[in-house]
Amino acid sequence: MAKFVRNFAEKAPALVSAAVTYSKPRLATFWYYAKVELVPPTPAELPAAIQSAKKIIQSGKTGSFKQLTVKEAMLNGLVTTEVWMWFYIGEIIGKRGIIGYDV
Amino acid sequence: MVLPVQVSPLIKLGRYSALVRGMVYGAKRYSYLKHQAEVERRGAEKEKKRLDELKRIEKDLAEGDTILK
Repeated sequence: MAKFVRNFAEKAPALVSAAVTYSKPRLATFWYYAKVELVPPTPAELPAAIQSAKKIIQSGKTGSFKQLTVKEAMLNGLVTTEVWMWFYIGEIIGKRGIIGYDV
Repeated sequence: MVLPVQVSPLIKLGRYSALVRGMVYGAKRYSYLKHQAEVERRGAEKEKKRLDELKRIEKDLAEGDTILK
């Protein structure tokens, strides 16, 4: 046991530095995309969002959504599913546990 | 590298509002379930005490240890 701990303590800095060198460029790419794509909406974007929602409701009322191609409809379905999954991620954060409620 | 996509504001609004609603729902349900678990635990304790009492009385009766000796 003591030998394992000593081995680990000797190798740990090398492991940590290797992990850092591996993850730095990947973190940079992630940050590059996240800065544009994952940023929360500013209040200035609210009217544009409401406009888009109105357009969707409009297309539902007039039946023009039937003119969508299957590919577009599938993409819309995927995006909707992704938005809905954020709800479950929020629930995981709220209940402070990944699986199940820990009462 | 591919340029990052400009996400539509409706999608951004939807995502973050879903996140916040999920957090609120999770926290609320957690507190409710915790309360329910507490109530049930107390009920189970009472039940156990009652059963233990009954068992004790039975044991005493079997040993013939009543007032009417």
